Amino acid sequence: MLKTETYTLNMGPQHPSTHGVLRVELELDGESIIKVKPIIGYLHRGIEKLLESRTYIQCVPYTDRLDYVSSMNNNFGFCHAVEELAKIEVPRRAEYIRVMMAELNRIASHLVFIGTLAIDLGASTGHLYAFRDREDVLDLFDLVCGARMTFHYIRIGGVARDLPMGFIEKARAFIDKLPERMAEYDDLLSGNEIFVCRLKGRSVLTKEMVLSHNMTGPNVRASGVPFDIRRVDGYSIYPELEFKVITGREGDNWDRYRVRFEEILESAKIVRQCIDGLPEGPVMAKLPAVFKPPKGEIYSRTEGTRGELGFYIVSDGTPKPYRVHIRRPSFVNMQGLNDMCAGYYIGDSVAAFSTIDPLMGEVDC
Amino acid sequence: MFGKGLVTGMSVTLKHFFGEKRTLCYPEEKLPMTERFRGGHLKLNIKKCIGCQLCAMTCPNNALILKVTTDENKKKHMAEYIHNLGRSMMCDLCIERCPVKALSWDKNYERAYFFKDYMIYDAVEEYDPEPEEGGQKAETITPAASNSPPPAAPAVNDKGGDET
Repeated sequence: MLKTETYTLNMGPQHPSTHGVLRVELELDGESIIKVKPIIGYLHRGIEKLLESRTYIQCVPYTDRLDYVSSMNNNFGFCHAVEELAKIEVPRRAEYIRVMMAELNRIASHLVFIGTLAIDLGASTGHLYAFRDREDVLDLFDLVCGARMTFHYIRIGGVARDLPMGFIEKARAFIDKLPERMAEYDDLLSGNEIFVCRLKGRSVLTKEMVLSHNMTGPNVRASGVPFDIRRVDGYSIYPELEFKVITGREGDNWDRYRVRFEEILESAKIVRQCIDGLPEGPVMAKLPAVFKPPKGEIYSRTEGTRGELGFYIVSDGTPKPYRVHIRRPSFVNMQGLNDMCAGYYIGDSVAAFSTIDPLMGEVDC
Repeated sequence: MFGKGLVTGMSVTLKHFFGEKRTLCYPEEKLPMTERFRGGHLKLNIKKCIGCQLCAMTCPNNALILKVTTDENKKKHMAEYIHNLGRSMMCDLCIERCPVKALSWDKNYERAYFFKDYMIYDAVEEYDPEPEEGGQKAETITPAASNSPPPAAPAVNDKGGDET
């Protein structure tokens, strides 16, 4: 009697398409995938524990290291949580600068997504074009805070320094150029038949699946759920800004690509509104020399580039937090990996890992 | 028609083949660093330093180990200013905390070392009184910038610089 057996294959942690150090155990039946099991922890640094021994102000540079592709959003999330806890009023100018930085960082992060998706599907040219444009955003950040990756620019109570001279003109020039650049990606990638065939109708996540896995961010919007915390909670100055919440329909790889693609242009619109409406004034609230938030606890969420970035902070009234828990969107989104891969071919798994857009610094924390 | 997208994509790359060059031959050509660039060794102006040790206290990662001496006039002097680059996050908190603005970065980004011990240095030993004559705002030419055409350094609006 002939019989077949399933076969287990280890992918990673050194596989280039796993975006860092993710190890995946694939259970295969021939070339089709039965089950996918992500094994995490290769980049664990214990940031949550580290924060307990630092003062609130010293905590901020550690949040840079969570999602190191969009550090501004992490700074923003943590500072927003502490400000809600201590009820600090942030100056208007600082709020505008923060939103501008967060959206510029969203553009940079989504460009990394497009670049890595292209290189995972074998189009290394697309990768270089995306990184070329990301470089322009990083140059802007370099002007503002002197760093290209771990920014530590958004602080508790405002931002570190005011915008440098010439920044506004450079940011405006970048935003003006962006639609033209995005049209170039359309020519390079979106119109390419191989690219489309690899993505369309593959790794479908239905509405029910994403909701049951508690996924957030562009992944859930691609499945047709218009959930965006910038719109739902309306924190900071987002209620005053005009932007569309981009949603997809099918929830396949192609929709996840298109949602991020369109979000870049929406973020550019937000940056333009921030530049036009930038008020004068201070950029930092007055904080006491020893900053001590009152006793209490808070869960505050912001829309990171990968989904709902939440900080749960317990304060015991001392300058150091008693406990910090970070709800990392990449970590929660990883739940959908099995549903995305099961039933498809092994070649599709690479595209699935890429479009779920995990960042291991955030998954392992 | 299958293949049309491929040809369109190729035409984009062909256009850029003759277009503007975006890369730099790194070791020969070097990019100038920006005004606010954080990186390299810490430069300590001993004349300005009052030995308050706030920089070491505010460091999140204990990268600074200081030794302060007091002279006969009860004035504090920095005897040793050990900065461990391996522990430093370049977060700029020490520089912002300094009440007399005695600290700055030397902006040298070539920081690859063969041994861990090379990352530890004493900023007091490296103190060079010459370039400090012009005060804090003196134009500092970094080793990185010296080989390249003069950087178009943007004027900085520092009115929101201090906090806490």
